[in-house]
Amino acid sequence: MKKLIAGAILLGASSMALAQPGCGVGAMIWKGQSGIAPHVLAATTNGTFGNQTFGMTTGTLGCQTNESVQSMALYMDSNIDKVARDMSRGSGENLDTLAVLLGVDAADRDTFRKVLQDNFATIFPSSDTTSGEAVDAIVALLEQNQSLSKYVAA
Amino acid sequence: MGQSLRLGPALCWLALSAPALADTPPTTQDLHLDPAWLTLMHYQQDTLGGGFTSQADDSAFFISDQGKHAPKAELEATLSAIQQPGSGDSHAQCRFPARTAWLKGQLNLSLPAVDCPAYESWTETLNTETVTLVFAASYLNSPSSMFGHTFLRLDPPQDDDETNLLLANTISYAADAAAHDSEILFAYKGIFGGYPGITSVQPYYEKIRLYSDIEHRDLWEYRLNLTQAEVDLLIAHAWEIRDHNFDYYFFDENCAYRLLALIDVARPGTNLLGEVSTHAIPSDTVRWVVDKDLVSDVYYRPSAATSVTYSLESLPEEQQTLAAAIANGYVDPNAQEIQQLAPRQRAHVLDATYDYVRYQSEADGWPREFAAPLSHNLLMARSDIDDAPAPQSPPQPEIRDDQGHNTFRASISAGQQAHREFTELTLRPAYHDVLDPPAGYRRGAQLQFLRLDARYYTDNDELQLEQLIGVEIRSLSPRDQFFSPLSWQVGFGGRRSDNGSKRVLTPYLEGGAGGSWLLGNHLQAFAIATADLEIDDDLRRGYDAAPGADIGLLHQGNRLSLIAGAKTKAWIVSSQHRQDEVYIKGNWHLGRAFSLFAEFTREDHYDRYQSTWQTGLHAYF
Repeated sequence: MKKLIAGAILLGASSMALAQPGCGVGAMIWKGQSGIAPHVLAATTNGTFGNQTFGMTTGTLGCQTNESVQSMALYMDSNIDKVARDMSRGSGENLDTLAVLLGVDAADRDTFRKVLQDNFATIFPSSDTTSGEAVDAIVALLEQNQSLSKYVAA
Repeated sequence: MGQSLRLGPALCWLALSAPALADTPPTTQDLHLDPAWLTLMHYQQDTLGGGFTSQADDSAFFISDQGKHAPKAELEATLSAIQQPGSGDSHAQCRFPARTAWLKGQLNLSLPAVDCPAYESWTETLNTETVTLVFAASYLNSPSSMFGHTFLRLDPPQDDDETNLLLANTISYAADAAAHDSEILFAYKGIFGGYPGITSVQPYYEKIRLYSDIEHRDLWEYRLNLTQAEVDLLIAHAWEIRDHNFDYYFFDENCAYRLLALIDVARPGTNLLGEVSTHAIPSDTVRWVVDKDLVSDVYYRPSAATSVTYSLESLPEEQQTLAAAIANGYVDPNAQEIQQLAPRQRAHVLDATYDYVRYQSEADGWPREFAAPLSHNLLMARSDIDDAPAPQSPPQPEIRDDQGHNTFRASISAGQQAHREFTELTLRPAYHDVLDPPAGYRRGAQLQFLRLDARYYTDNDELQLEQLIGVEIRSLSPRDQFFSPLSWQVGFGGRRSDNGSKRVLTPYLEGGAGGSWLLGNHLQAFAIATADLEIDDDLRRGYDAAPGADIGLLHQGNRLSLIAGAKTKAWIVSSQHRQDEVYIKGNWHLGRAFSLFAEFTREDHYDRYQSTWQTGLHAYF
């Protein structure tokens, strides 16, 4: 199942230019959407424009090899604002999605949420944090946790 | 697929062409006219002649060269192709799994087993147990979004913690517009054809980001009660149409239309497409799906805008002020005033403020240099508060969009204009005005299309076109300490205009902008600066223009809707004169299918006073 979900998320992203998820800086938090000024007619008529924004930038540092972590990185890249929000609250559907992508068992979910909320400042040290940095920080935090380290083992 | 029996294709073909043995021999005789086949191939009966034409505009969608116009030839070509030996993704069975499944079932075929790695991995990845129709509702200050948008979500089995609907995939159909096309070109090509329509698969979270976060549209999720077999057929057909072009037309063959076709394929006999006449408004298509008992349950997902409004409104007043002060940078998120709040309240204030800052950054373009550090400080402060309950989500509206009044309106009325009596018939194909029953629609929003008013004057038996509205959009969005939207209006068409001696039918263009303020739950005041342009050869210069103003009150209740106000216009080009008017209009709603209406205007024009009153009945269907 985990693999399927990872596949699903990759399927959605397959049209976008990306080298390898979990391998690079990713999107900066609160970067905002470029070109969001709603096209009045597009909104009416539901056209899709070719230049959908997808702020994926790739690098070569810190490649994650764990497939679940890659999926999480990909999700974070698209949803970093909402993930950060849910993380600060210690609850929310985007946090649940991260847990699903990492395959965190129901029994460990509370710990998972708590660790991420308590370490918000470590994961997002500044307002210029990128999704790649946040992913690396999350992985490092989970690795140190006895019950959660198994979910990010390479 | 096709793994049960392995008879040679030649044998199969023989059995088909000489079906002498079976008691009810399956036959291809009239199979090409079976509604299921016509639906699978998107054939529509030609308006002239008895022929058929498929809406697919892509030769790769057909196997036969004549496929676009020949259901029979296509069926025969398909039958032969799916029985060919061979394997791999290019085999007809792999390219057209839904057609294969249907023909197999109809004719009891024993097909050669074919491996379709691409299709199989696709279905495995989509991993669909149920299908949900998602409707993106309109947003108040964007009446152009009023028609809504629909797409399908493919939900994985939900039997454990491993499933997550944000990650579910969606299927949508949209015009593939080139990014550099202007909006004018976009509109033109959309209406008259010219854009290819493409089916795309995207994760649901991408859709949420677009509709809920960027376009501020609430999402309604209608889970369909399709069986697993029907779901499989839908997925198989989605595969067939996936990379093929169906030209896109805004009004009929639009996003909603192609999804109806998918549902029709999944459950033969549903015939949702039969409901489409001249246009398929997405909100109407949702009604049809509900009416045909295809929906098992409905879930509401408020947009970011709805959530933040609710979250701010549910704060006590002094904390609302505090939230506004933090958002504007007057108060630090860690300031004493915040620290002294109880943890639960502090969490609520910080949550609401953060959501508001994010909303304003997206909608109003707050600069990142200001918004990002503030957002970070808010979340840092929030992460220190443990065990505060998650913010409450806004309640589901009592009336869903698809439960509002129907969009076609016909009205009959009688009245008097300057002492001449008349009866009037009005037809309005779409969509909603501010006096129609408000339930299920955005308050203060109005969008009328092609409204026609015809009057019959009884004194001299004269039939007159009173007005023909091309388009009329009005958006009265209230302002408050957090949000300051513009109220605006725009419209064009033809209307009777008094030129001093008689009332002549005059093309007009009008627009306006201003503000609106909430005075009570259902009551708002508005003040709009307006501009009017009229073109007529009876006018001295051939046209006339008037700056003006429209100030009034609007009440929208479930029983009674009322608008009253005063308008003034100063005509300045052809003749210089004032036109002043006071008006009051009311609709008494009898359920959602009928409204009684009455209106009265008193006008001072060319230094003459004139009264018009009118009363009648609106019917919505």
